[in-house]
Amino acid sequence: MRQALALALLLAAAAAHAGPRLDPGRPPSAALQAAQADNRTRPASVGATLDADTERLLRASFDAADPAHRGTLSRAEAQAGGFGWIASHFDAIDTRHAGRVSFDDVRRYLKLRDANAATK
Amino acid sequence: MVKIQPFLRGPRFIAAAAALAVVAACGGGGGSGGGTDTSPFLDPNQYSTAAGAGLAAPNEKTAVTHHTLTLGGAAIAYTATAGHLSALDASQAPEASIFYVAYTADGAAPATRPVTFFFNGGPGAATIWLHLGSFGPKRLVTGVPATTQALPFPYVDNAESLIDTSDLVFVDPVGTGLSEAILPHTNQSFWGVDVDAALLRDFVQRWLAVNGRTASPLFLYGESYGTTRVPVLTRLLETAGRRVNGVVELSSILDYNSNCSVNGGTPTVNCAGFLPSYAAVGSWYHLATGATGDLDADLATVRSYADSTYAPDAAAWLATATLPPDSHIAALVAFTGLPAAIWDQHFDMNYDSFRHNLIANTTLGVYDGRVSAAVGSPLDTNDEPSNAFVAPGFAAAIKTVLPDELGYTNPTPYVMSSAAIDTWDFSHGGRALPDVVPDLSAALLLDPALKILFLGGEHDLITPFHQTELDVARLASGAPIALHFHPGGHMTYLDDGSRPLMKAELAAFYAAAKGAQ
Repeated sequence: MRQALALALLLAAAAAHAGPRLDPGRPPSAALQAAQADNRTRPASVGATLDADTERLLRASFDAADPAHRGTLSRAEAQAGGFGWIASHFDAIDTRHAGRVSFDDVRRYLKLRDANAATK
Repeated sequence: MVKIQPFLRGPRFIAAAAALAVVAACGGGGGSGGGTDTSPFLDPNQYSTAAGAGLAAPNEKTAVTHHTLTLGGAAIAYTATAGHLSALDASQAPEASIFYVAYTADGAAPATRPVTFFFNGGPGAATIWLHLGSFGPKRLVTGVPATTQALPFPYVDNAESLIDTSDLVFVDPVGTGLSEAILPHTNQSFWGVDVDAALLRDFVQRWLAVNGRTASPLFLYGESYGTTRVPVLTRLLETAGRRVNGVVELSSILDYNSNCSVNGGTPTVNCAGFLPSYAAVGSWYHLATGATGDLDADLATVRSYADSTYAPDAAAWLATATLPPDSHIAALVAFTGLPAAIWDQHFDMNYDSFRHNLIANTTLGVYDGRVSAAVGSPLDTNDEPSNAFVAPGFAAAIKTVLPDELGYTNPTPYVMSSAAIDTWDFSHGGRALPDVVPDLSAALLLDPALKILFLGGEHDLITPFHQTELDVARLASGAPIALHFHPGGHMTYLDDGSRPLMKAELAAFYAAAKGAQ
């Protein structure tokens, strides 16, 4: 596997010198092949699937700020872990005044805010 | 993000920290200055854009010069700052030494004066195009799409500069220009969709902090791969708690999975998003027999045909190699001027088949289809006449602008284009190739006041405007998004007719976005 990757990198490097480097340029062929497999099973997200993709990104940031997998973050942990947005909205998210918020609390806050905006 | 191992953070880290202290004392050249002192800087460091390279001893000294630009009768005094600033990770350890040029208006109030960070793409391309060609205080005159402007390109005061609206910071990502990772990181450490954006988040936040600009309205401006980079960067900044007021995306590639040019014409991606751009180019050469002379009206017709008829036809061709009825081929010939025989052979038409076959023995530009060259002529070298025409002028200019205009001298050549793309990690969001529509969606969810402006050229064959429209249409209706497309190529601002239109659209966009809460 590692040899195959090295070979692919070598070939990609050789190919790159054949013509000009374009911007956006063509990704290495291994990435293109993997993408073709992706695209057969996972069409571009829209509507509910885009919402799921969006949530996945935020969830990943939440998990990155929670290396101990406690499932909740304090204001200080959110700030230190790169999710300063949670820290700056902490009181509004922490409706139970628990001092810690879960990802579901964040989702609830966003849904509530959107509902409020819609009725304005 | 790569973390520095504690045992590696001994003397080297202390040296870097000392260097940072020196810079803090010098000041990074913020917008609140306005002195008349100029301080040129001969930077002795050698910079490398090789994958395995890393800098042992970064410095953050800058060259500072003072200038005046007259715009619309008003004189704007501004300070130019050129040099390096280190991006720091969460534990304040240095990650990379980033080269930038900042133009900041003197005497502006930091709380209300916007600051805009500009990023070209590649990946592996330096931000020389936006810096020297677009909305900086000065710009290179190219005369594009004509190819008659002699070298050196004149470097003139820019009547369309954005310096009347925002401070401007042109940033070279790692492995471009004069930017390099700081050991124990190497350039390769930051060559990926996610690691690149995280590093640039750290750079933007450090620049704002060092220059006393944390309260300023913040704008990000990407071009080409920069339009993939900026949505990820925007999401990361918003997640970190730093509001982004506005995002400008010029010549966009939001989803590598939907763009049939970066997939190399491999017949797996539907090229329907490209059809209106082919029609614009065919019309430019007076080959599109269906053209009425009203380009915008014609493109609306072709856009609608692309969605209703060509997209399903191309999908059928991809699935079963079945061509549509002759009447559909005839419509495509009338829209574009491309002969029926070429449509029969390459029905899901990628830009290479189009630009090599529209006119016999002639190559059209990828970046600007209006630029053409006879096969085998000097401009056809490398099979890309629009880049072949402008690149030498930009490459020559940066060699004089940095030392002569900005007072920054360095022995290393400024790298316009590195090999970063060859070993770039394109994976993002669980896909092998990046789709950053979810990043825009996440940024808008965190910050409903964020506003986004898409710009582009109607004759750009590599990031076609209708593909951008299709990708953007995935976002919820009612999202705070505007799109404007004009005659021109990938670097749409090079067109002397379109640049003033874009400037007016940018000014309106900034006015609406900078105060939005």
